Amino acid sequence: MSTDYDYDVAIIGAGPAGSSAAAYLAKAGMSVAVFESEIFPREHVGESLVPATTRVLLETGAMEAVENAGFPKKYGAAWTSAQSRNVIANVFNKFSHELGSAEIQFNERDQPGVDRDYTFHVDRGRFDLILLKHAESVGAKVFQGVRVLNADFDDPQKVTLTVRLGPREVPISARMLIDASGRQTMLGRQLKVKVADPVFDQYAVHAWFEGLDRKALAFNFEKSDYIYIHFLPISDTWVWQIPISDTVTSVGVVTQKQRFAEAGTDREKFFWDFVSSRPDLYEALQKAERVRPFKAEGDYSYAMQQICGDRFVMIGDAARFVDPIFSSGVSVALNSARLASRDIIAANEAGDFSRERFAAYERVIRNGVRNWYEFISVYYRLNILFTTFVQDPRYRLDVVRLLQGELYDDEEPEVLRIMRETVAAVEEDETHLWHEHLGTLRAPTAAPAF
Amino acid sequence: MSADQVLARITEFIRESFLDGDPKGELDEASPLLEWGVLNSMNTAVLLNFLREDLGVNVPPAAINRARFKNVGTITALVVELMDASGAARLEGSEAR
Repeated sequence: MSTDYDYDVAIIGAGPAGSSAAAYLAKAGMSVAVFESEIFPREHVGESLVPATTRVLLETGAMEAVENAGFPKKYGAAWTSAQSRNVIANVFNKFSHELGSAEIQFNERDQPGVDRDYTFHVDRGRFDLILLKHAESVGAKVFQGVRVLNADFDDPQKVTLTVRLGPREVPISARMLIDASGRQTMLGRQLKVKVADPVFDQYAVHAWFEGLDRKALAFNFEKSDYIYIHFLPISDTWVWQIPISDTVTSVGVVTQKQRFAEAGTDREKFFWDFVSSRPDLYEALQKAERVRPFKAEGDYSYAMQQICGDRFVMIGDAARFVDPIFSSGVSVALNSARLASRDIIAANEAGDFSRERFAAYERVIRNGVRNWYEFISVYYRLNILFTTFVQDPRYRLDVVRLLQGELYDDEEPEVLRIMRETVAAVEEDETHLWHEHLGTLRAPTAAPAF
Repeated sequence: MSADQVLARITEFIRESFLDGDPKGELDEASPLLEWGVLNSMNTAVLLNFLREDLGVNVPPAAINRARFKNVGTITALVVELMDASGAARLEGSEAR
């Protein structure tokens, strides 16, 4: 019976994945409701985007509002290491060829569906609210401050959610469910299909700083609004530096959780202890004023044995979370919303929401995330040697492509294989001049099956 | 390019880039670059870039070790070997066509 449900699609979570899926589906004429447990705006980590988000923002129509918000434009990415400051003085003008330092611009390579040579750094409180308001403006129903407790799939014709609304628990039914609940992974936990990543058990401590002299840390003053990735001389540890406004900068230390546990200290002391391993960074940060409390992010990196089934799909962080080194989070959220919505619209036309309808989504998003994962795995092994690939004209554009986030549709990019061969060559030979620079994180030799 | 020319180009590059021009003329074919600390991992990246951009030679990662980068003589031998190999490959390619 066609009237025996409240909505065509119910979406759990109003982050970028949920809002974008809501916009796609509402624009296609489907009735959509979004259930968000918090009240927006709310703080969220994951503040730097990649150009692969542009296509989705254009397709959903949210781009105009995002442009009007005045977020800092992100034209590229840069890496620095402790090494780059010790280089012999008379080759300093060759800094772009040093080990451990590099920079790329997105416009070095044309990208399909991307019409501008920048993306954004965003205050996620504002950005996520903009996307949600946009979804609402194109017809999605939005409920904030309500938590979805359970999803019942017993009826083959629909999904029934139990939603907590104040003191009551209310049943809401839909023809299908999208889980966009982020790292809460509502459905993954309910269905017991969540698997923690054994290798990338990372941990981050981060805050916002007012008045950080970004130019002091940049090689090139004009590029001080790039994202900066600072290698620390501590294995597998790095710092992100992301402009949030003209004067506010987000800074976070990412390391293995075990290192934080070993340090046995509080977040603030941990942050400063680790940052002090790079005196240039430490001095610049000491002169700035911290304007948000230190926050910690654990629960890094997991996968799901299943990301779709009869009457449901998982998208964004609810489907998979990988280490955030390349700003992949919002890109995975938006592109999984794009791919899943395409399948859901087709399923709606066919009147069939069974699992096989979402096979295309599953194939492409798993392929994309596997490519991200391979890139991240070999990156942590290469450590500062990564920059030799950025500097090598044979590989530079392939690396730019990965950093643009253009890796969903194709087979594994060739450059990843060459990076792995390089790691093997350096690893096997103790007399290799770069042997000491390898990172210690080892991903399984076989790519994860899911 | 002959082996002597390669030797001269590499010697000159190391003198100018890492030895302030080598005013006392201490650098020769057998000078132990790694022991002297003239070549460290950082400078090696700069040298590899010179070999690629100015001499057109891509050194494979497996060859970046202490034996091949011991002195200007061993580096020259490596570069000449790689030039010969790529020349032979080009020749084979043209015959195949």
